[in-house]
Amino acid sequence: MLALSDFLIVGAVLFCLSIAGIFLNRKNIIILLMCIELMLLAVNMNFIAFSHFSGDIAGQVFVFFILTVAAAEAAIGLAILVVLFRNKHTINVEDINSMKG
Amino acid sequence: MNFTVTDLSLMLPEIFVLSMACIILIVDAYLPERLRDLTYQLSQGTLVGAAILTLGIQPESSTLLMSDLFISDAMSVVLKSFVYLIVFAVLLYSRAYLHNHKLFCGEYFVLVLMATLGMMVMISAHHLLTLYLGLELLSLSLYALVAIQRDSSQASEAAMKYFVLGALASGILLYGMSILYGLTGTLELSEIAKAIATGQIEPQLLSFALVFIIAGLAFKLGAVPFHMWLPDVYQGAPTAITLFIGSAPKLAAFAMVMRILSEALPDLHHDWQNMLIILAVLSIALGNIVAIAQTNIKRMLAYSTISHMGFLMLGLLVAKPDGYSAAMFYTIVYALMSMGGFAMLLLLSRAGFDAENLDDLKGLNTRSPWYAFIMMVIMLSMAGIPPFLGFWAKWAVLSQVVAHGFIWLAVLAVIFSVIGAFYYLRIVRLMYFEEPSDTAPLQVNTDMHLAVSVNGLAILALGILPQPLLQVCIQSIS
Amino acid sequence: MIKLIFYLFAGILIFAGTRVITVKNPVHAAMFLVLSFFSSAAIWLLLEAEFLAMTLVLVYVGAVMVLFLFVVMMLDINLTVLREGFARYFPVGALVGSLILIEMLLLVGPNYFGLDKFQVPDTASTVPNTVALGRVLYTEYLYAFEIAAVILLVAMVAAIALTMRSKRQNKYQDPARQVEVSAHDRLKVLKMPAEKAQ
Repeated sequence: MLALSDFLIVGAVLFCLSIAGIFLNRKNIIILLMCIELMLLAVNMNFIAFSHFSGDIAGQVFVFFILTVAAAEAAIGLAILVVLFRNKHTINVEDINSMKG
Repeated sequence: MNFTVTDLSLMLPEIFVLSMACIILIVDAYLPERLRDLTYQLSQGTLVGAAILTLGIQPESSTLLMSDLFISDAMSVVLKSFVYLIVFAVLLYSRAYLHNHKLFCGEYFVLVLMATLGMMVMISAHHLLTLYLGLELLSLSLYALVAIQRDSSQASEAAMKYFVLGALASGILLYGMSILYGLTGTLELSEIAKAIATGQIEPQLLSFALVFIIAGLAFKLGAVPFHMWLPDVYQGAPTAITLFIGSAPKLAAFAMVMRILSEALPDLHHDWQNMLIILAVLSIALGNIVAIAQTNIKRMLAYSTISHMGFLMLGLLVAKPDGYSAAMFYTIVYALMSMGGFAMLLLLSRAGFDAENLDDLKGLNTRSPWYAFIMMVIMLSMAGIPPFLGFWAKWAVLSQVVAHGFIWLAVLAVIFSVIGAFYYLRIVRLMYFEEPSDTAPLQVNTDMHLAVSVNGLAILALGILPQPLLQVCIQSIS
Repeated sequence: MIKLIFYLFAGILIFAGTRVITVKNPVHAAMFLVLSFFSSAAIWLLLEAEFLAMTLVLVYVGAVMVLFLFVVMMLDINLTVLREGFARYFPVGALVGSLILIEMLLLVGPNYFGLDKFQVPDTASTVPNTVALGRVLYTEYLYAFEIAAVILLVAMVAAIALTMRSKRQNKYQDPARQVEVSAHDRLKVLKMPAEKAQ
């Protein structure tokens, strides 16, 4: 039978992939946004696995709300990205570094 | 599920703010441009109304509502009242700036009110879910507010950085919450504390969850080494928005840390104490030292925020009610001072010009002795020089730290604050002993003039009589 | 059998996740993200979270990822520049990622969360998953539900405030004004004295 640890390991792998992705794709904002979605997916995997194994529905309710918030977050993130692109004509983070200190 | 009227009466402030925000959203859509000031007046009225409703709540006992998702206690009443006060002042200060920069639109007020609602939800949260939702409601409004000056590439750049790092922090915080949920089997804060108190959960796993939660919280507070976003956001955002980000949300952040650490995880205080010590020392050291090298005041105040957040954590890490109330006192005092500091920058700005470099403050005394005096009061207070208010805040926190045996920590904090005093005093020197490089006359509205004066004098008066405010903080925590 | 399904979808999920962070083209990355959402949904079905699995496919694949693709294609992005520095960051990123992963695996592995600690729950639940969620969503979690609604409203207000361009900014011609224009409005004759050579 499948143990809780199997699902948690998948969650942990996804979480680390998203962290590594944020390190690797520092220049490409749109992939950064995707990495954040991946991270939330890892969190959701954890919540659902715990919820299933403890027979408690609260974890699934939390996931429901994370999905809602993540959709709202994606909308605002992409809106900011569009504004940024209109101003800078690039989404390259290296070009986007006018503030230093 | 059954409601009673008393249930809802405790939630009236939230309901009121939400309804008014929706009304303002609709009213603003149909307002002709020349009546736009009505939006402003309605927003201010909303805050006043919410304050009256909140102060009408009897804060003697803490009550759980809405299936334990919502808590109404003494701390929430005090913090919410200060949030209204600060947001009220923020709107007042920002008005002229928004007009001058063509940002005076209904969306600004709706987003500020929604952010305020998010802070209220966070302050009254008694469940990991409401804590998270309140945090996101606040953060999403703030991301949009930073980017609201659409034609400024610096502002949109700051918004993007804020967004990516803020979303990353939420993700890390959520991962910690998920592990905590798995270990304790509940999302309710007091139930989590009970489950941990049984001592049947593997301590190693609890600290695993704690690491993620602390990292997420440190990101949101802007503590070193998770502070990267703060200077860029403070500098890039329009000054009126920086004023908002730098004041009221700190109270909500304090409430969030309190709810999680002291209500849900009190039995883990040995673990989080050590983590907070590291964060606090790094924040105080780096914040104070790097601030000296800044030529941009907004950026300098951002690093000063980082060091103040370090002090806030010094109060929290004592893990006793005395320490919490000292930290709360510190947060409120900091919000008042930071508000005054940024208000002064708004005052010096005008259409087509933003005061943001140190040179813009040169010779302020010859241009306006009164404002120079108020700015001096604020700067000396931030530096922690007696008898100003900031000194008492630092004193309250440090005396708690010493009383609980962390003398070395207090010594370090004092040393770095003395170093930090240098850059605050530099501003005072620029204002009084340099020739002004900008001689344009200051255009200040009467209400703005009054508000800034009240703000400065309040810092002066509370510095002489800090006891009442401190007493309020002590009573609301115990 | 269930084990086989799990390993199949977990394998696809991790493969797709790896591709999301390593492919060159953002469109491909978005497609791999879609694939990882689909395989997660399959794993969630194994965990008897049917409603959320469907929501993930409908909301995420159907709406959020389409939004992503829409934005990627709307912005004319120069792809070659974006990949510069990937090789430079790769060792650091891979090192940090794998270090965190090893530490996390030690903690979430079978040591603490194995079958001996958490038994497989009794699957014969009487209430369908969707009903169970719906029952608590509008009663116990009503407050949270309301806040989520406000968050969606904020997202809507923010997205419109940030990206909508009002009509006044568009350039258009007004024939009446063009006809009425006279040389006085457009031309200004200046008198410039000739400069003397020095």
